Formats: sequence, C-alpha cells, structure tokens
Amino acid sequence: MKKLILAVLAFMLMLPNLYAQDTPAPDPYKPSKTQFMVRGYAHAGLNYKKVGDEVESTFVGTTFNPIFIFKHGDRLIFETELEFAVEDNKLEIGFEYANMSYILNDYMTLRMGKMLLPFGTFIERLHPSWINKFANMPLGMGHGGIAPTSGIGVELRGAIPVGSMKVLYYGYITNGPKLNTGFDAEGNIDEPDEAGQLIFNNFEDNNNKKGYGGRLAILPFSNSSVEIGGSIYGGAVGDRGSFYSNIGAMLYAIDFSFVRQVSAVKGIVDIKGQYNLTNVDDATYFEPEPDGSLTPYTFENSSNAYFGQISYRPTMSGNDVLKRFEVAFRYSAFNAPEGAEWEQESTQWAVALNYYMNWRTLFKLSYQSTNQVGGHGVPEGQTVVTDGLFFHWALGF
Amino acid sequence: MKNLKTILVFALPMLVGSLIMASCASSKVAMKSGAQLWGENCVRCHSTPSPSAYNNTDWETIGLHMRVRANLTAEETQKVVEFLQSAN
Ligand code: HEC
Repeated sequence: MKKLILAVLAFMLMLPNLYAQDTPAPDPYKPSKTQFMVRGYAHAGLNYKKVGDEVESTFVGTTFNPIFIFKHGDRLIFETELEFAVEDNKLEIGFEYANMSYILNDYMTLRMGKMLLPFGTFIERLHPSWINKFANMPLGMGHGGIAPTSGIGVELRGAIPVGSMKVLYYGYITNGPKLNTGFDAEGNIDEPDEAGQLIFNNFEDNNNKKGYGGRLAILPFSNSSVEIGGSIYGGAVGDRGSFYSNIGAMLYAIDFSFVRQVSAVKGIVDIKGQYNLTNVDDATYFEPEPDGSLTPYTFENSSNAYFGQISYRPTMSGNDVLKRFEVAFRYSAFNAPEGAEWEQESTQWAVALNYYMNWRTLFKLSYQSTNQVGGHGVPEGQTVVTDGLFFHWALGF
Repeated sequence: MKNLKTILVFALPMLVGSLIMASCASSKVAMKSGAQLWGENCVRCHSTPSPSAYNNTDWETIGLHMRVRANLTAEETQKVVEFLQSAN
C-alpha cells in the first residue's frame, strides 16, 4: 500500500514536467526539402474470349507498375515507372519512363529523359489501369499500335492563361521513331511481317537525325471542362547509311476531352476521343520466300486509328452505392496500310460497368466485340469476330 | 470515307452536346477558390482524390507531379494544393 502511494505521488510530481515542455512536439509531417514517394498501380483479372468458334478463358495478372517520385525543393522533380508483368511464363520488366523536370518559370517547364510523349492524350494521361475505364486499350494504341508511347529526349511544356481560356504547349526533340525494315542491323531477316511499322522506344538514335514533335491544346472555358488538342511528330526513321536512310515519317493526332459534373443529369459526364494518322515515306521491303529468295514489294504506308468514349457516373445521386458505379461506352478502329504484311482493318466497340471502391480502386466489368479483316492469323478475305468479357480489379496506390 | 462517316456520327453530337454543357462556365481562375479549381481540374483525367487521401507533405509532391503531368498553371496548382492541405 505504502509503495503504491509513493508511486502515485512520484507520478504526480512528474506530471507538471510532462506538460512543461518548452519545445513543441516535433511535427512528423513538416515538409523537408527533399521528398520521396513510392506510388504505382496494379491490376489482375479474368479474361474470357470467343474468337470465331474458339473459346479462351484465363486469369490474367498481376501486372504491377511501381512509380518512384523524387522531389527536391519546389521546382525539381524526378519520376520513373517500371512495369512487372509475366508473358509466356517469363517475367518481363518494362522501363516505362524516367525523367527529370524543372520548373523554369510560371509558364515553362523543362524535362529530360525517357518521357511518355504528349502525342494525343491517351498514352500520357489515360493508359494506367486505374484510369482507363476499360480492361484494354483502344485499337491502335499500345503494343503493335501506331501511337507513339515514349521517347528519349528533351521537352519544354507549359500552360498559359489567356483571359478565361488556357493554352497548353508542348515541344520536344527525341531520338525519334525507327523504321522496322524486316532486317536487323546485321542485315539478317528479322520480323519481316512487321516491315514498315515504326518502333518508338529508341535508347540510341539510329540515324543522328532527331525526331521533332509538339502538341498545342486549348481549354476554351474557364472551368477547364473542354480541351481540344493537336499533335505532330516526325523525322527520319531509317538507319544511318542503310538502304532506308532517306525514309521519313510524319505522325498527326487530334484529341478532344470534355469532363464535367452536370447537375441536370446528377453526375459526371466524361467524353474523350483521339484520332491518329501516321504517314511513312514509301519504301521497298522484301518478303522472304520458302526457297530462301526475297521478293520486293512496296505499299502506301499510311495508317490511322481512332477512338471515342463516353462515360457517366452518378456522383450527385443520394444513394451511396449508386454513386460508386460508372457506365462507359467506347468505339475504336485501326486501319493498317493495304499491301503491308500487317494490313488490317479492325473496329471495336466496348461497354463497361465499373464500381469504385475508392478513387483509385475499381472493379471493371467490360464486354467488347472486335471485327478484324486481315492481320495476323486472319484468313484472306475473312472477317474474324472476337467477343471478349473481362473482369478486372485495378488499383492505384 | 466510311471512317469519316463513323467519326462524324459519333463525334459531332458529342462535340455539340459538350459545348452546350460547358458553356455555362463561370469566372476566371484568379477569382476561383482552391476548392472550386480542385473540383473542376482534378476530375479531368481520373476520379478526384479527396483531401484526406494524403498528408500535407505528400500533397506538395503530388501537386508538383500533377503540375508537370497535367500541365496545370502555377496559380491553379498553388491554390489546389493549399486547399487540399487545409481540408485534409
Ligand atoms: C491531364 C490529366 C490529369 C489531371 C488534370 C490531373 N491528373 Fe492526377 N494523374 C494523372 C495521371 C496520368 C496520373 C498517373 C501517373 C502515372 O501513373 O504515371 C495521375 C496520378 C495522380 C495521383 C497519384 C500519385 C501520383 O502523383 O502519381 C494523385 C494523388 C493525383 N493524380 C492527384 C491529382 C490532383 C489533386 C489533380 C488536380 C490538381 C490531378 N491529379 C489532376 C493525370 C492527371
């Protein structure tokens, strides 16, 4: 008992000391000059596809994209993204981007490194699985598509307010796209089916001639709800000193975006679209025959791809569950040049029903139907219809 | 030609519809609050994060990241970050 009283007394004597600290408690969130963040996203899911009469069903994933962001002071930031995915039972690691940016002034930011290109808007802004409202990318984007993904180089970008409007500009110089000629650097036959396509990720310039590109966009209303942009990117694409050294390419895109919470329909209406056009100078390619000989051929190397999508989420509904749902519709098409080994005409429509667990985690249920004429595995003159049902769980962190 | 028709069929009504919806725009950025700019801008590419999603330090980093990625103006970024930090 005595011990207890002593203990209580001792505690009471200490109390004033506990409260009488003259230095305030350290604030764990006080910003330091240097900040480092690990962010990223992942997705996994179930794909069910019917190609003609054949059915495929498989779980897919997980793809995991860690993003590292490093910031020093108020002007300097470095961002990099990796992608881990398993393809054909092998771990593939992608190096998506790695670049530094420095805010030169209110209207100008300088960037350098490997960057997602502001060519249209899909790749730079909409492709991460937690942002894309569908389980797949639109036709013509991503692998085997015609939209440039990233480039290695230097860029200036900025936003300029003009009255109640805003003008965005982007200008960049990169190593430029490279032509797939059907031969490798040593002159051996390599991917002859893809002759005439462009390869965008070039860590080394194949011809010393740089690729030049830019985007100009306008947000005509002060609420930033509408954005209309035009992009251009081009340069020499053939290898230095090769048969293709004079071949160049020009790429064009226009994009449109409207996003706004509209009270008349009690929710967010989101409309986006992009049209891509790629023109590569005519060149002669060679088709390997079974007897080992090569047959020369050429074609008008012009391709295009486009998509339009609309989605609606009843964010102003009084019902807490309904608020988390979103419906979306997308139409896309891809037209590869006639006469190329990769000639094809495809169209696709897709519908999606999405449920948001939180702002960056969603369940996507989507159905899509693709019509393809020409291209890999499609018999001449036939249309192959692929129906797909996808259930994906995408998460940003 | 078929392409052009499809594009027109889809794109034109969307364009006209959205321009009508957008035209009830309000005042200039200088007169807008951080909360309003957050509501109008952060929804353009992805769902809007709520202020409570991150702490003050993280909002500084994300603010700079988004300023570059989304090409936001200096004023928009500053106002939105201040709002997010005051409301989290
Ligand atoms: C022009 C499109 C666009 C706009 C507008 C935009 N974001 Fe983002 N945001 C992105 C993209 C794209 C990513 C994903 C980055 C990546 O994965 O490479 C992202 C990622 C994020 C993240 C995840 C962490 C990070 O930094 O990557 C947060 C948080 C975020 N945005 C907040 C905001 C806020 C707040 C605003 C409003 C000021 C905003 N965003 C406006 C495109 C945009």
